[in-house]
Amino acid sequence: MPLGILIALVVGGIAGIALLTHVFGFSAARRFADADEARAAFLREFPETRIDRVTLSADGAAALLETEDGPALAWAMGADTSARLLSEVRVEETPRGLRFRLPDMTAPCIDIALAPEDRAAWHSASGGAR
Amino acid sequence: MTPDLSYPDVVQMAVPIFIALILAELLWIALSRRGGRYETRDAVTSLVMGAGNVASGIALGFLAWGFFMLLWQITPLDLGSAWWVVALCFVLDDLRYYWVHRFGHRIRWVWASHVNHHSSQHYNLTTALRQTWTGTFTFMMVVRAPLILLGFHPAMMLFCGGLNLIYQFWIHTEAIGRLPRWVEAVMNTPSHHRVHHGRNPRYLDANYAGVFIVWDRLFGTFVAERDDERVDYGLVRNLGTFNPLRVAFHEWAAIFRDVTRPGLSWRARLAYAFAPPGWSHDGSRDTSAAIKEKHLARHPEDRGTPGFS
Ligand SMILES: [Zn+2]
Ligand SMILES: [Zn+2]
Repeated sequence: MPLGILIALVVGGIAGIALLTHVFGFSAARRFADADEARAAFLREFPETRIDRVTLSADGAAALLETEDGPALAWAMGADTSARLLSEVRVEETPRGLRFRLPDMTAPCIDIALAPEDRAAWHSASGGAR
Repeated sequence: MTPDLSYPDVVQMAVPIFIALILAELLWIALSRRGGRYETRDAVTSLVMGAGNVASGIALGFLAWGFFMLLWQITPLDLGSAWWVVALCFVLDDLRYYWVHRFGHRIRWVWASHVNHHSSQHYNLTTALRQTWTGTFTFMMVVRAPLILLGFHPAMMLFCGGLNLIYQFWIHTEAIGRLPRWVEAVMNTPSHHRVHHGRNPRYLDANYAGVFIVWDRLFGTFVAERDDERVDYGLVRNLGTFNPLRVAFHEWAAIFRDVTRPGLSWRARLAYAFAPPGWSHDGSRDTSAAIKEKHLARHPEDRGTPGFS
């Protein structure tokens, strides 16, 4: 197959599938309905780790957890979730909330939307340096 | 000798079919509200990984090809190009695929390349295209050497490898449940390959097959999909990024970081590169064996059941 046609097919195909997926409403992000859902999302990645406390963000897209191994985050990854312990975290304020930077190639930068009044509490509970 | 044997590039020819079937699956899921899940960013990442895989094949394919043609010069054997030779080549190449894939899960150096295929938490036809960009660097082309030395022309072998990849496309779907018993007995199917993509302790390191599931039954790695245990797709530790560059290279970077840690023995450095994924010098991480053991400690009733024996 000529390279030009292959490239056109691939680019057109990706754009078309992305557009259709979005139009069908499959871009909606996961939201935690309650603390138990956030707890389950964390345990999915760290099944052996005891959770002591869960704080949901106002929009339900993330949760800050206190665990036996220190503070942790569980958050929406598209329609699914991921979670990380926050050892060695650096925290920055963004216009929408907080950015958690980890020395982790697979989760280098976690943006969490937070109301201005919640940010200080999340920042100090995460144990993060500025 | 048959030096100018050539076959069509079937993977490139299949691209329009891939796109059409993805659209069909997407429409089916959107209209029927069952048969699987799609998510926009996940699907785009998978498709970009697929495009990058084709691009890396065009850019780096000459390395493997040069190696294969070198072997072809050396070998005194030439099986020719009769149809039954192609058929035999296809079956033996599928056995080759089984072992390369098994190494891909059991040797971190090879896992660094293959991990991206498992990095989606979804399981749909786009997941099939989430293919590696770094396969060349695993040096797994050496596993093809015996086939060439036996007299299968390199072009025929790559043709069979392409057909193998195309076969594996359609099994990446939740829209198909179980197939007739004889099909599930012999062929790799959506059901068997769902298990392979599972991060459930039971389903780790199972069903490495490409086309024929018989290799897993033969070599003891077969685990059947269970109605009482839904497959949880993705990695043991799921990614926190959709960035294709990170998806493609994160495990290579992690190997580099581990191997260059100060104060390690040479044995530990080698193990960080070539031991099973999850190996660590201080036991701070879990291999799949450790994950299964910890699961059994929490669920002793599962001991001895498939996936835990
Ligand atoms: Zn695999
Ligand atoms: Zn797969």
